[in-house]
Amino acid sequence: MAMYRPYMVPIAPLTVVLFATIVIGVAATLTAWRARPEPGSLPLVAMLAGQSWWSTCLVFQVQATTLQAKMFWVDISWVGVVVIPVAWLAFALQYTGRDEYLQCRYLVLVSLVPALTIVLALTGEYHDLFYRESRLLVQNGSLRIHRTVGPWFWLITGYTYLLGLFGGIPILSLLSSDARPFRGQSFALLLGTLAPWMSNVFFLLGFYDTSGLDPTPVAFSVSGVAYLAAVTRFRLFGASPSPTHRARRLVFTKMHDGAVVVDRHDTVVDMNEPATEVLGVSPSDALGSPATSVIPSYDDFPSEGALSTPLSIDSDRGVGRYDVSVVPIDDVHDRPLGRVISFHDVSDILRERQRLKVLNRVLRHNLRTEANLIAGYADLLADGDEAHESSLIKERTQRIIDVGDKGRAVVELFERDWSEVEPRDVATLLDSCVTDVAAEYPEASIVVGEAPTNASVLAVLKPVVLNLVENSVEHNSTDVPWVEVSARVVEGTVEIRVVDNGDGIGDYERRVLAQGEESPLEHGSGLGLWLVTWGVDIADGSVTFENRQPSGSVATVRVPNVSVPAEVQAR
Amino acid sequence: MSGEAKEVAGSVSNRAPSQAESTQWFTNPAEGVITAFRYSSAYLAVIAMVQVLLVTTALSLETTLAPAVVGLVTFAVYVGDRIADADTDATTNPERTAFIKRYERVLQHAVSLSYGLAIALAVLGGPVALAITLLPGVFWILYASEWLPSVTSHFRRLKDVLLVNSFVVAFAWALTLTVLPLAFADAPFTPAAAVMFVYFFLGIFVNVEIPNVRDAAGDSEIGVETLPVVLGVHRTRHVLLGIDAFTASVLVAAAVTGVLDAMFVGALLLGLAFSLTVTSLVGRTTKEELLTVAAESEYVVVALALVPFAL
Repeated sequence: MAMYRPYMVPIAPLTVVLFATIVIGVAATLTAWRARPEPGSLPLVAMLAGQSWWSTCLVFQVQATTLQAKMFWVDISWVGVVVIPVAWLAFALQYTGRDEYLQCRYLVLVSLVPALTIVLALTGEYHDLFYRESRLLVQNGSLRIHRTVGPWFWLITGYTYLLGLFGGIPILSLLSSDARPFRGQSFALLLGTLAPWMSNVFFLLGFYDTSGLDPTPVAFSVSGVAYLAAVTRFRLFGASPSPTHRARRLVFTKMHDGAVVVDRHDTVVDMNEPATEVLGVSPSDALGSPATSVIPSYDDFPSEGALSTPLSIDSDRGVGRYDVSVVPIDDVHDRPLGRVISFHDVSDILRERQRLKVLNRVLRHNLRTEANLIAGYADLLADGDEAHESSLIKERTQRIIDVGDKGRAVVELFERDWSEVEPRDVATLLDSCVTDVAAEYPEASIVVGEAPTNASVLAVLKPVVLNLVENSVEHNSTDVPWVEVSARVVEGTVEIRVVDNGDGIGDYERRVLAQGEESPLEHGSGLGLWLVTWGVDIADGSVTFENRQPSGSVATVRVPNVSVPAEVQAR
Repeated sequence: MSGEAKEVAGSVSNRAPSQAESTQWFTNPAEGVITAFRYSSAYLAVIAMVQVLLVTTALSLETTLAPAVVGLVTFAVYVGDRIADADTDATTNPERTAFIKRYERVLQHAVSLSYGLAIALAVLGGPVALAITLLPGVFWILYASEWLPSVTSHFRRLKDVLLVNSFVVAFAWALTLTVLPLAFADAPFTPAAAVMFVYFFLGIFVNVEIPNVRDAAGDSEIGVETLPVVLGVHRTRHVLLGIDAFTASVLVAAAVTGVLDAMFVGALLLGLAFSLTVTSLVGRTTKEELLTVAAESEYVVVALALVPFAL
């Protein structure tokens, strides 16, 4: 201590500084009060009010002229002194979203020592736990109180520092936040707390001589400015980190997929609620158990990545199929800590796929076979009196076969993995489609217009363009249906246009396609345009339909030019 | 000092001011200052300071920081109230609401700083001065804040309770105006101080109820019970005139018994006559804003009447 040269704190400047401290403290208190019910606002109000109270009592104590009066203001100041650490801890917990620790019973528990401190301070004349001796001294012409502290003083001091430390830890962690406002807020808050804290430490260690006058309230002026800066400059109550702590836990507990955390010894250490349902176990049974006894086929799981085939798990709610993925958890030095295993329920998807397969078989085989039989029986009637009816039956039967073919094409559209099929040259694809439809409708005039060279699209465009051309010919009441198919490259995409002189596409039909879904009351006329819409969707493109004057329609399909690298397309 | 001061600018209108009207506060500095003085309720702070000076004169106290403290507290409490009630005042006071909304951030800082300054100055006056200075803020929380009703369902805002609302406002301000100069001067509470307390209490009570006449329909809709809502305009005017007459009798008695200086009471009676005139116009004029400001200016009339004697 000898290396520090003590200096005296004169009264007049002290009063001026305390005056400023009270102005700033009260202003900051009101500012925090207005921020209610933002997280941390009420504890901050309590803390600032405690600081202002302490400063006010110091002013009254300095102004008091008798020992009794000075003792009274010192004793009564403890009401504010002990509020500060409790409020600081409450603020830190609420502000950082750890309000689960702010339950009433915890607050009461934390406030027991401070409450007892107030009682002991106010009953000081009956014991010497707090202050052993109080004397009035005259120094530099001013009356000063000098008190020899007792054991409780050191206990509450230690307790205050402990709560200050606990409150500082969560705030300190925000200094490294990615969010600039949180870094600013935490810096201002820590500065506002450390200033009086350090002042108190130096006072207790005797680094400067204040003649027994605790200068901590003087440093509250720094606190007030820092807290005001946190509120106004760094939007303390405008950008709050409070949800982030809970949000991270919520993502784990409330996510739709089951998730199990295992440590590096493959012991289950945490699991969310969906995981308990997937695995059919209770957390109390699973936690702490080996993963092999909780998760079926655990030994077959990869150390990282996805399981190649869906995992079947038989639980209380039946047999479920799950995509399993494993994500390693590492520490800051990239040393493994454990893994998170997630279970994504694909039972419904697999069931849907199975249904599509059955539907495909029915459309491909059963429907066509039955329709051909009907057509055959109709042929038997062709030579008789029912020749006209026979023709009608065959015509309608053909329509059924066509619907079946379209349905089958739709099923295949969804069943195939088009990304694995080799892309098609656009010009070749257009020629192929036109040739196919022209063979079916020889009376129609179907031509290929402009077509780019060195442009390719996903193979899924084949059924798309085929259906557009077919649709143009089929819905055409002119004597000579005319269709022109052309394509061009536009900024990394291929634009395919199918123009016809047909009947056009009604507003109602276009509206249903734009909605993307049908209802029993609002639906399209067939499957063709749905196939076009879904196919374009698979190709990550778009399609628009317009009517042209005087008749006909224009279908415009825009899809990525897959001959162009993806990064060029993105630009 | 005013109790409530629910004034509006010009005639009552439901029309929100246009952007051009709002920005005119900037284009004409002189008019801007007057507008700010009017809509921020800064003029109420000046009236409050005049009231404290009247007490200082009546009780022959030394000049202290009390007028400044009361002025700052009045400014803080009323501007704070304007900000808190900006949404509900939008219909009855569109121009003032537009001003408050436009400068809300600045006004909030002004409120915090002025109350902080008031408290710090009061600390220099001692513990009693501090306690008295805290009173308006505490009463405001009990009176108008939604905080206590949100904490406990057993508590109802005093602002919504018949007579209690006006009594609380009148009591809090009358106590502050009368006792704060005493606390600063370290003077005892004398019979003269008691008369000044009664004078302010009754005067502020009347001033609270005058703007309530204009707001009767709105108050009735939102469930705030005031005299005009319960008694009607006609009977309210009679009650207020009766209160003014009672105040006059108290002042005359104080002069006769020598509690207050006769000349000073004469000035107070002059102000009271002004107040009686204003009160008699309640419900009989459409210039309700002017009526409200006139009622609050009663104490300025008293001060002006005393000026020749002070010179």
